[in-house]
Amino acid sequence: MKEIEGIANCPEQQVILYVEKEDGKFGPIQTGSYLSANYLDDYFYKRKNLELSLRKRVINGEISLVYYYMVLVDLSISELASRAGISRSIVKKHFEPKHFGKCSVEGLRKYAKVFNVPIANLLQIVLINMDDHLESLFILENKTRNISIEQNSTNNPYLSVSKIEERGK
Amino acid sequence: MIIENFKHKMAAHCESGTITSLLNHAGMQISEPLVFGISSGLFFGYFHKMKTFPFPTFIVRNKPGQMRINITKRLGTKFNESSFRKNDEGARKLDDLLQHNIPTAAQVDFFYLDYVPSWERVHINVHFMVVIGKEGSNYIVSDSYFPEPVTLKSSSLDNSRFAGGSMSPKGFIFHVADIPSSVNYKAAIIKGIKNVCFNMLRIPVPFLGVKGIRLFAKKIIEWPNFARDTEHLSHEIMKINILLEDQGTGGAGFRFIYATFLQEAAEILSKPELSGLSRQLMEIGDGWRELSLFAARIGKNRDLGPEKLKQLSGLIQNRAEVEEKFFTELNDVIKRV
Repeated sequence: MKEIEGIANCPEQQVILYVEKEDGKFGPIQTGSYLSANYLDDYFYKRKNLELSLRKRVINGEISLVYYYMVLVDLSISELASRAGISRSIVKKHFEPKHFGKCSVEGLRKYAKVFNVPIANLLQIVLINMDDHLESLFILENKTRNISIEQNSTNNPYLSVSKIEERGK
Repeated sequence: MIIENFKHKMAAHCESGTITSLLNHAGMQISEPLVFGISSGLFFGYFHKMKTFPFPTFIVRNKPGQMRINITKRLGTKFNESSFRKNDEGARKLDDLLQHNIPTAAQVDFFYLDYVPSWERVHINVHFMVVIGKEGSNYIVSDSYFPEPVTLKSSSLDNSRFAGGSMSPKGFIFHVADIPSSVNYKAAIIKGIKNVCFNMLRIPVPFLGVKGIRLFAKKIIEWPNFARDTEHLSHEIMKINILLEDQGTGGAGFRFIYATFLQEAAEILSKPELSGLSRQLMEIGDGWRELSLFAARIGKNRDLGPEKLKQLSGLIQNRAEVEEKFFTELNDVIKRV
């Protein structure tokens, strides 16, 4: 690949590519990620649709939030079970709301750690009103144009503190 | 505190970049392509059904951690390595090394690194980075995927070092213990190339090497059977581009960095044929890039009917043919050195 062909404008995601330089030598250049520069909007579009379809199923009582997060963070059942230290068969049971009720608080803590969310978020979906629709806090990565929401863990393993702040203040 | 004289440098790949940075800091002047080539980083493996992955996938590099092992064997460098059963022991050891001004590489789960943009964060336990300092409750990290050193909360580092799951890091850290006074680069390069040729041509496993590329070409037609819906299939098809270009490969699934290695090797071994082969591999890499851009395009356009997947399959099959020819030729050349 010639140097000119490797250039992409994406300051948020820089990569090193090895290319053919003008003198014929091969070497590294620092440039932007081609995919992120050109297709990131499509990634977020699909992600929002996926979250919305999963959210509907959670609200309808078809699935639990364990399943919701597992799909959103792209884990297999085996990998989730191994990471949480819970057997695969129990994890599968926890996908159904009727069995999810039997999950202990310690079990919730283990899942929450894998998904990197507060335990409370395994029992609720926080939505933010965005102009004409409701968007999930998880998808918004805890911020909008006007507010930011920090959900911090504490020394108490079963408590997180949520702070809502107007942005820019 | 921060280790002042550590030079942060971006790299194509996290493991070869981390090893290169550590060796450079210890006084051994070696480039990332040379580290990658000597450690036989280039590889191919296709996994159609594996419990670890939620969808069929492929890899384009050798087993994580193997680069360090191969470099140790082939260059005679020594690394001190530690794993931990308890998180606090792991944190104490890391802090102790930093106190002694020793830049320390850590194996981590990429998902918990809060300085990484959200769209890049995935659970993968085989990211490598160098910890170069600590200020309050934050660590200073030289992550070769970022232009400048970054800060990371100690709780995030702890989560990422002690994540469970497949290839769990178990707090694994390593640092340079010794570098040899002289290195036989010629012998190391020859071993590295022979190993890659073996892995690509003769490894007796049907889903690895060139056989793996062929299997990938055959099986990608079945991918719609695994997808929830068209958008899911689109996401997975576009991930081909991520795995080949974006996830720290230097472009074209490591083919470009390996071509650069062969160009360096040609000079060190005084073997002009390798220079010709390096150009050939650069062209083969262009074909991989064309394939990955095709995947991104059809994914974005949701143009994922059987005909398009067949076309994609054909492009992959074609890479298998040219790579079989290429590695056979490379193997012949290196045997004569």
